[in-house]
Amino acid sequence: MATEPGIWHARSRRRRPQAGADVGHFLRSLDYVLLAATTGLVAYGLWVIRAITGDDVAADPSYYFVRQSIYVGVGVAALVGATLVSPDLLRRYRHVLFGATLALMIVVFVLGSAVRGSRRWIDLGSFQFQPSEIGKLALIVFVAGFLAERAKRIDQAGTVLSAIGLAMVPVLLVFFEPDFGTALVYLAATVSVLFFAGVRFGHLASLGVAAAGLAVALLWGLPAAGIQVLRPYQIDRLVGFLDPDSDPSGSTYNITQSITAVGAGGLDGRGVAGATQTNLNYLPEHATDFVFASLAEQRGFLGASILLLLYALVVWRGIKVVAVAHSLFSASVAGAIVGAFLFQIFLNVGMTIGIAPITGIPLPFISYGGSSMITSLAMIGMLQAIHARGRLAGNR
Amino acid sequence: MGIVAVALFAVLFFRLWALQVISGDDYLKSARSNQIRAFRIQPPRGPILDRDGVALVTNVPGTIVRLWPADVPDGRLDETVRRLSELLDVPEKELWQSVRARAGDPLTPVVVKTNVHDAKANYLDEHQAEFPGVRVGPTQLRRYELGSFAAHLLGYVGEITELELRQKGEGYAGGDRIGKTGVEAAYDDYLRGQPGVGQVRVNALGERTSGLVPSRMPQAGYAVRLTLDTDLQGAAEDALRWGVQFARENGSWAANGGAIVAMNPLNGELLALASYPTFDPSVFSGRPDPNKVQQLFDPEVSAAANHPMLNRAVSGLYPAGSVFKPVTALAAMSEGILDPYELISCVPERIIDKQKFVNWDPYRNEAMQLRTALSNSCDTYFYDVALRFYDLPPERGNPLQDWAKKMGIGIETGIDVGPESAGLLPTPAWRKRHFDTAIDRLWSSGDSVQLAIGQGDLLVTPLQMTRFYALFANGGKLVEPHLVKSIEQPRAEGETGPPVVLRTFAAKPPQGLDLNPSFIQVVREGLWDATHDANYGTSYGVFGFYEVPIAGKTGTAEKFVTLPEGYLGTDQPFARLMDQAWWCGWGPYEGESWGGKKPLVVCALVENGGHGGEVAAPVALRVFAEYFDTPLPAIAPRESD
Repeated sequence: MATEPGIWHARSRRRRPQAGADVGHFLRSLDYVLLAATTGLVAYGLWVIRAITGDDVAADPSYYFVRQSIYVGVGVAALVGATLVSPDLLRRYRHVLFGATLALMIVVFVLGSAVRGSRRWIDLGSFQFQPSEIGKLALIVFVAGFLAERAKRIDQAGTVLSAIGLAMVPVLLVFFEPDFGTALVYLAATVSVLFFAGVRFGHLASLGVAAAGLAVALLWGLPAAGIQVLRPYQIDRLVGFLDPDSDPSGSTYNITQSITAVGAGGLDGRGVAGATQTNLNYLPEHATDFVFASLAEQRGFLGASILLLLYALVVWRGIKVVAVAHSLFSASVAGAIVGAFLFQIFLNVGMTIGIAPITGIPLPFISYGGSSMITSLAMIGMLQAIHARGRLAGNR
Repeated sequence: MGIVAVALFAVLFFRLWALQVISGDDYLKSARSNQIRAFRIQPPRGPILDRDGVALVTNVPGTIVRLWPADVPDGRLDETVRRLSELLDVPEKELWQSVRARAGDPLTPVVVKTNVHDAKANYLDEHQAEFPGVRVGPTQLRRYELGSFAAHLLGYVGEITELELRQKGEGYAGGDRIGKTGVEAAYDDYLRGQPGVGQVRVNALGERTSGLVPSRMPQAGYAVRLTLDTDLQGAAEDALRWGVQFARENGSWAANGGAIVAMNPLNGELLALASYPTFDPSVFSGRPDPNKVQQLFDPEVSAAANHPMLNRAVSGLYPAGSVFKPVTALAAMSEGILDPYELISCVPERIIDKQKFVNWDPYRNEAMQLRTALSNSCDTYFYDVALRFYDLPPERGNPLQDWAKKMGIGIETGIDVGPESAGLLPTPAWRKRHFDTAIDRLWSSGDSVQLAIGQGDLLVTPLQMTRFYALFANGGKLVEPHLVKSIEQPRAEGETGPPVVLRTFAAKPPQGLDLNPSFIQVVREGLWDATHDANYGTSYGVFGFYEVPIAGKTGTAEKFVTLPEGYLGTDQPFARLMDQAWWCGWGPYEGESWGGKKPLVVCALVENGGHGGEVAAPVALRVFAEYFDTPLPAIAPRESD
């Protein structure tokens, strides 16, 4: 795939589409399969949210549905905008984008409103904004741009370490919000960028070893030495993931109830009214973090499979976009977006079915929440922008 | 990247398949049990009816306040318990005990209080949010229609204790109310009904999200019909109260208790079973008032009040005194050591083995046949008979005790409502077992002499004596006394027509004793003379002029009594020999009925009441007068034994 970045680079220079290019031509070069899969996901997500949250606000069964629809509206605008904006423009202003995002994250630290002990949100009146979601995009663009500029020195360890060092700034900020899940997603996105930018396999491998060492240190070494980096609940969740029966009413309550909800769904689900785990609030956060468990309870294996297939379609088209990208930068951005999606889907779905630790990350397109919906749609928009420009540049 | 994506999606699909399709049913079960909470629905307890179907014990709707400790949010239990205790006047300490006893059983609530005042129930209803886990609901309370009427035999109900729960086992659960004493306890299986099971859906916070849906309807308890005659029982209780008062006025200041048994001598149906002093069983309805209950259970308070919970008719133990003499007479004749027509001297006193034994009447000095000796209750006559038993060769065993036992003395009668005391029939073997010193362990002539007149170590219950006297009215048979006639389908309100009888407790056929009918007849005549012989009869002054032919025997049993401090207002403990007044007998003397009424056998006992002929006989007369529906005759009781 990403073996000859130099050639892509040269081609992109040569076949750059002219400003004011034919609109019809541009429209025709979009990936409509990706668009259709995204539309399907968003529509499916709205349907799911409506069914799940019908009982949550007593006076208004469509409380969450209406708000989510508004977020979808904003998200669609973001998608269109991101499609129209040239990735190169983003690349040029990546420092501004990255700096602004970091600033927002610091603001979150100082001013943010705490929800269940963690500061992730900025309160904008009726809307709570979560900068770490948008931060995903900024991080990808920034690191991809950084590496694209140093494409010739990509096989040097120094370049790789610099890129990681820069990436660690938002990762650590998010980690100490604390938002362990999003920090993991950031790391996944960073690794994807490194991979698609052509970093040497040896470097990636040593990175993996270092990560493993860090994990051991965080979970065992440092606590043994009396230094607590992870909060006790985070350790509980990680341990609970490995042994769900250790404390069913305590720290593993979430995972137990979630697995019960998913399992109870069976092949074709318990329906909206019959989904007691969701309706009677046994399932925590059933509109956000555990939305997949609710869906699986209400619609069963069939309903959950439809969602996973739609995701697979998006990921498959995303990988295609990497292939048609007309520059190293575009390719690594697209690759990181796909990587981030894939990781986030696996982590979220995995945690609801007991094969990944519990971390508070949303399920793209489905979980209730504006920041996530808008960011996810914007990321699809960027994929479209990369696809269209790649196609117009004649790269197939 | 593609390979990684395929691998990850494959993992998710496989795991989903495993969870949802392969083991989906298991998870479905646990999801269901998550939100359904099962409750026991207590059935209405069956009523207790008298022999004519008059309700003695029923249920009334009441308000109950329950606390589900498991539904109280963390940290708010202290506050909730404190506020409940203040609002409902329940001691906080006691409430905590109940809460702790329920730890680990989230389905059974703690009963905070029953019979809550409406205003307080409404306050709780309106302030639901301030009392998490507290619910006000309707309940059924036991209602004792006639107050303390027949309290000892009806019994009372209470919450099952942990010990009872372990003993009863299946079918019982914590929080159940079960019969504790009397009919309520003995026939609990019939009265309690089958609890139903109801389900409510609750959410993760334990709040109810649906109404109670019964999955098994409770089955109301059955009605228990007694053999008891309400009017006669009432008359017996009144007579007993009157007798205690009468005894005190007669100089027996310590009289404060007694018992009456009235029984059909043909089949053992108990028509009245009174015990004094008594208590009000409604004290135990709902959550008992600790002060009132303590009075009943506190040993000191209870002793000072002369043990109001004790059912003296069935488990009160007394020396029999002269009412035992017919036993001695029958045994002696049956053993061939007494000819009823031989003359034995009745003297003021006899010295036996250097010990002086006196007759109750120091002026009597003549030879008597058995009939007169019974009529006059001559003690010295029976001392002579006692020595004949004592002088029997050892190979003859202990025939007096053997016959007494055959006649139901010192053994349980088998009454269906307990607890019953067996009493004590002393034998040489018992003496040997029971005492330590050589002199005490030996059965002496004095022991035989004492036993022959119902004194010494002998202890009987009024019910035992009633059962014995019944054999003079039924031709020498021993019946089994019983209090419950049948089990019936409970009737809905306003329902009339014949009751649906589910089970009848047929009286056990009376047990023949192989007594020579002529012996029985001699004793019968002696007992007739006791009530009708103007010269000798010990209760002639009471029954001599009564229109219904009654025969019976007086008894004045000496008992060493220890009275506690506070007994009838005394300021120090008190111990001495006191006379227990007895009268046992039956009417009509002959024939199947009198005035359309079947025969009745009655025993009356007044504790520390003085002479049987003076106190107990008039008490028994009142029971006969009610039963045979006659006016109470004028009486002239005289000093007797």
